Amino acid sequence: MKHLNEEELVELYYESRDAQADEQGSNLHMNHVLAEKHMQQCEACATAYDGLARVLASAEGEPVPERGAEYGAQVWQAIRSSLPVYEPKRRHIWAMWPRWAYAMAGILLLAGTFYAGKIWERTHTTTVAQNARQGRERVVLFVLDGHLDRSERLLVQLSHAADDPGAKSETVSLPLQSEARQLLADNRLYRQSVAQAKDPLLAGALDHLERVLVEVANSPDDLSTADVEQMEKELNTDGLLFEIRVLRARVADQAKERSGAIDRGRTTL
Amino acid sequence: MRNMGNADQELIRRVLAGEKDAYGLLVSAHSEAVFRVAYRITENEADADEVVQETFLRGYRALDRFDSRANFKTWIYRIGVNCALDARKARQKAGAVAIAEEFEEEQVAVQLADREAGPERILLDREIEGRRRKAMERMTESERTAFVLRHMEGSSMEEIAAVLGVEPNTAKQAVFRAVQKLRRSLAPLWVKA
Repeated sequence: MKHLNEEELVELYYESRDAQADEQGSNLHMNHVLAEKHMQQCEACATAYDGLARVLASAEGEPVPERGAEYGAQVWQAIRSSLPVYEPKRRHIWAMWPRWAYAMAGILLLAGTFYAGKIWERTHTTTVAQNARQGRERVVLFVLDGHLDRSERLLVQLSHAADDPGAKSETVSLPLQSEARQLLADNRLYRQSVAQAKDPLLAGALDHLERVLVEVANSPDDLSTADVEQMEKELNTDGLLFEIRVLRARVADQAKERSGAIDRGRTTL
Repeated sequence: MRNMGNADQELIRRVLAGEKDAYGLLVSAHSEAVFRVAYRITENEADADEVVQETFLRGYRALDRFDSRANFKTWIYRIGVNCALDARKARQKAGAVAIAEEFEEEQVAVQLADREAGPERILLDREIEGRRRKAMERMTESERTAFVLRHMEGSSMEEIAAVLGVEPNTAKQAVFRAVQKLRRSLAPLWVKA
């Protein structure tokens, strides 16, 4: 049988006192019930408990002097004059706002943030789309400029062949035929694209170029300088050369413009 | 208890709103309990009265820092205990602690029957009171406070822990140590019949 130690006896003593004060004894712990049961069977623990209870019962000390019913009022009167009055804390203007106002402000803030995000997203998307379109146009202009450059060189060579004073009656070799054939295929594509872009100047020039390229590509191998000169006059290649140079200058300006627009778009992102 | 707590909270709110006299109601409700604890600690009636006034003065000045979730009774008890301990220390410093007599631990146990009346009983009571006071002197502040609240005021361990600002188990240990000191001092007076 395990005996109760001193700490358990002290606890038992005060719990018994609490239980006496509380008539229903509802505060009794299960350990307390078990300890009491143990003491009924264990003489040693019962003797130890009695000794402790006797010592503690004698240690109540002198009774506390009674204080009358007016004691509280007397204490209050004694200290009242030395107490300052608390000043009611001023409530800040925002503290006086009802809670729903805060909730409404929160909702408005949330909605504002949402719409700002939408606008930003739309602007961002538009800029990207614009940049993509401008990028594509820039590539087209770059390729077109290459095509016009090659065409210009072909026309210059054709012009030189016709202008050779020592070869008026002689047969001229035209190595430009194969070049003309390649240019012809490209030119057809550009002409069809430009027709949709509603650019009459470029469309007219490419149409004119195509007729020249057809003639050059299909010209016989033993073409004389006179024949070349005749072809130049009929097809007005000098005029075409001028048109191409004008177009090339314009295309270069447009390409530069598109490039600047893309850079500005990137800066705004 | 809950209604009492709510009533205290309402009075505190009124005081902080500028109604000074509402504090008078709090003083009336708790001054006697504070006096009892103060008297048990100081063991001097005049000191205990002063402690009560000092306690409610300090309480008023600190009222705007009172946590509204706390129990006012426990809070004012805590201030009261601190004031009482200060008063006791001040009296000890002044060398004016009223101890009935000096007692030697090694003194041979006075073997007296505990239920006998007359001069012997009076002598025994004086002996007991002197030894009890001596034992209280040897207790630490927390032991003395815990013992006074548990043994003399019947406070629960939770209340004592709140007043001391410790865990209930620590408060329980403080009570146990106090009882041990008391028992060592008083046990020699009792003999088996």
